Amino acid sequence: MAEESRTPPKAESAAGKWRVFSPAALRFARYTLIRGVALVVTVAIGVYIAVWIANMGGHVDEIRKAEIREAVGVSFRGNPAYRDLTPSEKRELMDAEIKRQVERLGLDKPFIGRSFAYLANALTLSLGRAERMSSDTGSKQVRSIILERLPATLMLFGTAQVLVFFVGLFIALFLSRRYGSFLDRLSVSLAPISAAPPWFYGIFLILIFAAVLGVLPYGGMLDAPTPKTTFGTVLNVVKHMILPLMAWLLSTVAISVYTWRTFFLIHSSEDYVELAKAKGLHSNAIERRYILRPALPTVITQFALTMIYAWQGAIITETVFSWPGLGRMLFQAIGMYEVPVIVGSVVIFAYLLAISVFLLDILYAMIDPRVKLGAKRA
Amino acid sequence: MVDKLLQVRDLHLYFKTTKGVVQAVDGVALDMDSGEALAIIGESGCGKTSLIRAILRLLPNNVHTYKGSVVLLGTDIMKLPEERFRTQVRWRQISLVAQAAMNALNPVVRVGDQVSEPLVIHQRLGKKAALVQAAEVFRMVGVPTDFLSRYAFELSGGMRQRAILAMALISEPNLVVLDEPTSALDMLTQANIMNVLKGIKRDLGQSFIFITHDVATTSELSDRGVVMYAGQIVEISSTAEQFYLNPLHPYSQKLMASVPTLKQKKELEFIPGQPPSLIGPPTGCRFAERCHRRFDLCDQEPPMFSLEDGRQVKCWLYK
Repeated sequence: MAEESRTPPKAESAAGKWRVFSPAALRFARYTLIRGVALVVTVAIGVYIAVWIANMGGHVDEIRKAEIREAVGVSFRGNPAYRDLTPSEKRELMDAEIKRQVERLGLDKPFIGRSFAYLANALTLSLGRAERMSSDTGSKQVRSIILERLPATLMLFGTAQVLVFFVGLFIALFLSRRYGSFLDRLSVSLAPISAAPPWFYGIFLILIFAAVLGVLPYGGMLDAPTPKTTFGTVLNVVKHMILPLMAWLLSTVAISVYTWRTFFLIHSSEDYVELAKAKGLHSNAIERRYILRPALPTVITQFALTMIYAWQGAIITETVFSWPGLGRMLFQAIGMYEVPVIVGSVVIFAYLLAISVFLLDILYAMIDPRVKLGAKRA
Repeated sequence: MVDKLLQVRDLHLYFKTTKGVVQAVDGVALDMDSGEALAIIGESGCGKTSLIRAILRLLPNNVHTYKGSVVLLGTDIMKLPEERFRTQVRWRQISLVAQAAMNALNPVVRVGDQVSEPLVIHQRLGKKAALVQAAEVFRMVGVPTDFLSRYAFELSGGMRQRAILAMALISEPNLVVLDEPTSALDMLTQANIMNVLKGIKRDLGQSFIFITHDVATTSELSDRGVVMYAGQIVEISSTAEQFYLNPLHPYSQKLMASVPTLKQKKELEFIPGQPPSLIGPPTGCRFAERCHRRFDLCDQEPPMFSLEDGRQVKCWLYK
């Protein structure tokens, strides 16, 4: 009889065909849709700003025009076929060639108009061709350059984030149980470790473990020659991941532990925790259900922030460890004014970030019933 | 001889703080019979919540001294090791009704699951069967049963308080302790809750301990009143009427005089000064400084005097 009363009959005003879905599921779907649309808009705005910045507000057009002029000039000067022409004839031909190339690249049209075309192409992942860079397989397609690097980045930073989350959570819970103990005070005083970025620790770790001790590689992802067996390859990659992961953990775990420990302490002084103790719950159950569970939304939020930080920090950390990932590729592209690759990787980063945030939003709505799902309650 | 429900003797609970040792509960003795409703009355900071914590063994980390005896139906529960205390005393024998105004309910677990939880832990009942019983108790305290699947934030203050009450009653404990059950609720809701409690006391013969600073709302429910002041019990009455109409201790008298009544016109009184600090309290009578009937004996600590009508009072006036 209790079961009956738990599902009170709902008003039948909604369209009949929707009745197969429960109101809660519909609300959840609507929430997901709204979050998705909001993120797509955010990504579009972010990418559009990136298009402007990468093109220096259109100034890169001028650089490219100058480059065309120079290239055409060089090719005319070195071409024996044009040796007999008068300077004015030569100039005319050169101007015609420059004009043809400028028009081919669309550089004669105003930048503002093309910026939207860029945006549309970027969002649909038609990332175009790179000007100078090429992928390891020789392709000039920006998409292949990026997709070739993406797995390495996802592997390293995916592992790093999962490690930070579970190691941090475990230590934080451990310390919150021992509030005020020596270990607790030690870890609190060590929290400023996180003030330095991962690549900073990376430099020292490379110095210690690669240069002095010589037990771990300086960088890269695989030894050359590569191991023959799959298992050997996996082990080799793991060996190369140790130092970057250590650097990452050193830099991010301290602050995560510190904040999470504080969240847990705050949540363990709640009245419902005391009531749970009075109820006679086992201390493990109290920790799981009455401390960890209510604290999870705040923990997840903080984790989302470190995730954003991770995509940013990838750039220099990968460069320090010569990790063949997106971050290092972006670093190289910036140095080469490689606009299509810069925009392309910003698009990919934006999408990665948006997908992470989207998943976290959904997770959030699932773990915290207080997250409003955008519909008024019955 | 039938054992008393509760016999508290010489109970002490001191806390360590950076400023010194706080003597929150200082030598409390208390008797209680089954089916009785006892009101513990006192101002904020007089140690009444600490007394409850000491009885329920809900101790914070900074305990300095915790000694005495709490005998529940013939067993000294202070002597039980923690694990046996957890499985045999917590909620099976004594349950607690916390203030709804506080976060007494977990915000991310359904109310029904929280209310039925004691049955799942202590009687190893399945979740479904426990929920059926929770629905039963919800009906008793007047909460619609479909609220079982709601979360705490979807309940009004009054409903939340009823749900917490239901949680305390579900395991049919010998003693229910209520920590200011009606504070922070509006007058109508207070009256509602008090009526629910009265019904439970009448129908089930449930024993209650109330902690309150609100004398008016508990007056009609409690059989006996206990007045606490500065960590000590200063007066125990044997009937409610005696206590509310004719209190003995000067502090109780002042306390009653500060309660507004509709029937008679009276000037509301207040007590000048402040309760003493519980860090190094005065050696004599702790109320002496604010007492309007102070005399020279008050510099020594008065014992508990038992009067012929069963009342007890800690004041030299009744020597």
